Amino acid sequence: MMTIVQRRRRIVAGVLAALCAHAASAGMVTVDVTTPSGAPARDTVVVFDPLDAAPPPSHDAAIIDQVSKRFVPRVSVVRTGTSIIFPNSDRIRHQVYSFSPAKTFTLKLYAGSPNTPVIFDHPGLVVLGCNIHDNMVAYVGVVDSPYYAKTTDAGTASLNLPAGRYRLRTWNPNALAAVPSQEIAVQAASLTVPVKIDVSSAPTAVGWPE
Amino acid sequence: MTLRTRIAVTFSLLLAAVLAAALGAVSATNRGNAEREVQRQLDVGVSVFQRLLESNRRQLTQAAQAVASDYGFREAVATRDTDTLVSVLQNSGERIGAALVVLTSLNGDVIAASGLHVKAGTPFPVSSAQRSSLAGDGATSLMVDNGRIYQLVTVPVRSPLPVAWIAMAFELDQKAAHELADITGLAVTLAVNSDGRWTNVVTTLPAGATSQTDVVTRRIEMSKWGNSQAAAILSRSLADARAPFERLTKVLFLIAAISLVASAVAAFWLARNITRPLHDLTKAVDQMRSGTYDVALSVQRSDELGVLAEGLHLMQTAVQSRDQSIRRLAYEDTLTGLMNRTAFGAALSEALAVADAGPVAVAVINLDRFRRINEHLGYSVGDAVLTKMAARLAAVPSVHSAVARLAADQFAAFTRLKDAANLQSWGTSLVMALAEPVFVEAQPIDITATLGLALAAGGSASTDELMRCADLALEHARREKRALAVYEEAFKPAARDQLSLLGELRRAVEHDELRLFFQPKIELKTGRITGAEVLLRWQHPTRGLLSPVDFIPFAEQTGFIRRMTRWTLDHAIAQGAVWQRAGKPVGLAVNISADDIGDERFDTRVASMLTRHQMPPALLTLELTESGFIEDPTRALRMLDALAALGVSLSIDDFGTGYSSLSHLARMPVHEVKIDRSFVQGLESDPETEPVVRSAIDMGHGLGLKVVAEGIETEAAAARLRSFGCDIAQGYLYAKPMPLAAFEAWLEGKERVPVIAMPVDFKIEDLTDSVSLAIY
Repeated sequence: MMTIVQRRRRIVAGVLAALCAHAASAGMVTVDVTTPSGAPARDTVVVFDPLDAAPPPSHDAAIIDQVSKRFVPRVSVVRTGTSIIFPNSDRIRHQVYSFSPAKTFTLKLYAGSPNTPVIFDHPGLVVLGCNIHDNMVAYVGVVDSPYYAKTTDAGTASLNLPAGRYRLRTWNPNALAAVPSQEIAVQAASLTVPVKIDVSSAPTAVGWPE
Repeated sequence: MTLRTRIAVTFSLLLAAVLAAALGAVSATNRGNAEREVQRQLDVGVSVFQRLLESNRRQLTQAAQAVASDYGFREAVATRDTDTLVSVLQNSGERIGAALVVLTSLNGDVIAASGLHVKAGTPFPVSSAQRSSLAGDGATSLMVDNGRIYQLVTVPVRSPLPVAWIAMAFELDQKAAHELADITGLAVTLAVNSDGRWTNVVTTLPAGATSQTDVVTRRIEMSKWGNSQAAAILSRSLADARAPFERLTKVLFLIAAISLVASAVAAFWLARNITRPLHDLTKAVDQMRSGTYDVALSVQRSDELGVLAEGLHLMQTAVQSRDQSIRRLAYEDTLTGLMNRTAFGAALSEALAVADAGPVAVAVINLDRFRRINEHLGYSVGDAVLTKMAARLAAVPSVHSAVARLAADQFAAFTRLKDAANLQSWGTSLVMALAEPVFVEAQPIDITATLGLALAAGGSASTDELMRCADLALEHARREKRALAVYEEAFKPAARDQLSLLGELRRAVEHDELRLFFQPKIELKTGRITGAEVLLRWQHPTRGLLSPVDFIPFAEQTGFIRRMTRWTLDHAIAQGAVWQRAGKPVGLAVNISADDIGDERFDTRVASMLTRHQMPPALLTLELTESGFIEDPTRALRMLDALAALGVSLSIDDFGTGYSSLSHLARMPVHEVKIDRSFVQGLESDPETEPVVRSAIDMGHGLGLKVVAEGIETEAAAARLRSFGCDIAQGYLYAKPMPLAAFEAWLEGKERVPVIAMPVDFKIEDLTDSVSLAIY
């Protein structure tokens, strides 16, 4: 549920990242996401938006499978313009839909692999569901930056980034509130960024940082 | 308490007790039943109410979920297509009759609504806490809004995460309450407490019935809603619940009362049915007891009482006939049909009780020598004689219905005389009536009667007294050998004398008040003395010298005569022995009575006395009257034989007056006979006596007996007797009876007949002295 104001802010941020993209050297950045109690927060989306140069557009492809009445993977991050195919590995039919503003679509009841991929051409968070199975939920973060990752079970995500300045966005589907983004200057040396995130046991799908 | 009342009351009380117990049990059970029924109803009511809520919840949940899961609806929610949303909500609400359908954002702001006053954009009054408690697929809650109660269900809308809420509600209104009341049969009240005050929102109780006290309630607390609290109250009037049971109890009471009354009446009727005939029978039996036998015993019934009545009737008849025969036996002589002694006594005492109706005369009649008729002619002849005599007596006009047979040969009659002077002639008429010979089987039987007459002149005489007087008169007549005697005062022994006589006699024997007198016996041919008759006198201390007539009859009646005979024999033998030892033996004659003959040991007594005093038996003569044989001739004969065997002489006294037959006399071992003084005295006055005396003497001689005559007073009589051949004489002509001293003096100088004392079987050794051959 994004407001108009939020969407405008996101566009401005994308332009700034493209401008800072041409930095020469690279450095290893590790983001360590933990909950306030110190537990690792896995499946946290980590996005570095380059502040110096804008990254080039992408025509990537991705797959979100449906296995045992689950979306696999549950959390995905893709660049804006990525085509995602939703194959159905179950023997039952599913109807994948999204009412998210970043991408609203519905794939009529089908089995096997649908003919056409869905192109996620707007940045933002897309929440996917199945019209038949209310418990099937998947999250697709659509970002302009090519630098993104998901934390592992240890709650960390490591990226090799060209030196430069970046804005670090983090989001977790169970987060109780939005995590403020922060500016990171990447040098040649390795860098570890600690991030605290408060999560609930149930998905909340709030606080997607634009 | 009568039997009737007892039966009736017992049955009634029993039935009453049974009914009371039954009614009590039914009543208690009913009361308990009513309360249990109410409790059960309330339990059911609570359960039904909860099921109703549950059913509502499901219905609401299903409806809300149906909406929430609709893709189009989700799309509309996602796109905030408010008009569409409202129409969907409206449609789904109407479908199930929900009072309210609201779609809110996750924050609780109303997105779209149908029903009530909820407007889009306003917050829906479900707090987040309530919502979370409602969450979880259709949790139910009660919402209080504007004084109304709603059952609310909330369901999330997912796309796919929850993005909105649908709230759907039914109102728990009057209709719902009435439905519940109809199903459960309970009164249903829904109440709300807001700000601490309960108010009834909905109730099925009639207005004004809320304050009933006799009501059982069950309260179901429902969820809170803000400051408000809702409760459902199910209630049931106990009175209503009891009403049917009470009706049943009333009916039972009515039935019990009617049956009690009916059974009491029936018991009384039955008891009366039983006791009335019993009462009748009792009355009849009472009358029977008093001797009335003609009471009707007619209980016409076929049951036990009828049988009883029949039995009593038979008993009545039997008792009556037995009573009659007992009366006959008691008051009638069976042979002659005359009254018996008892009846005669009763009739006489009745006659005596009537004073001033003239003197009552009583006759006691004895048939003379009747015993001999029985003996010689047989009892049937005797009975015939008695019957004829009875008929003759009864035929005497003056004694009609007052004749009785007292004993075997004794009759009695009484009559009321006009004048006491007629007594003698009345007695004569009775004698005359019996005087004619009686013919039995064409055989004439000569029979005479002796009469004793007594007169109750003063009217104060008792029956017993009168009878006894007549008896005494009879006794007198017999003694005097007259046909008839009228009672005189002189016959009557003084009552005190009678009473004391036995004692005095006993004393006389013990104190030797008795004296022996001796009257000489003279041989007529020679004028010499042959012996003496020993006679008894009583030297009474106050009354002087008493003759035997004064006490011997009494002694004979009482049986004391045996004792007196013993005494006399003992003393006579002792005296005889004295004379014998003195060399002047005197033959002594002692009178013995019929009683002595009846004594089986009499012979041994006599023998022992002879032995003790050492007197030769030949000196002793025992004189006895003919009447001594009459009782038991065979036994008497045996005794006489025994006495004769002792060597004792035997003499028959009063010869010619008795009844002794010649055959008897011939068999008896007697040595002499004594002609009665009446014949001797008649010799001079009555010429007809002479042949009698002469033939008596001849008869005695014919039998080989000596003949003694007594009562000789004149020389002429003595001469006559001598001429007839009479052997021995005795009488005043020679000497009166004398006491011992006078007799011994008289004896001096008199010549005695020599006594040859040589008895037949006398044992010589028994005599200490030599056998005396005394010659005087």
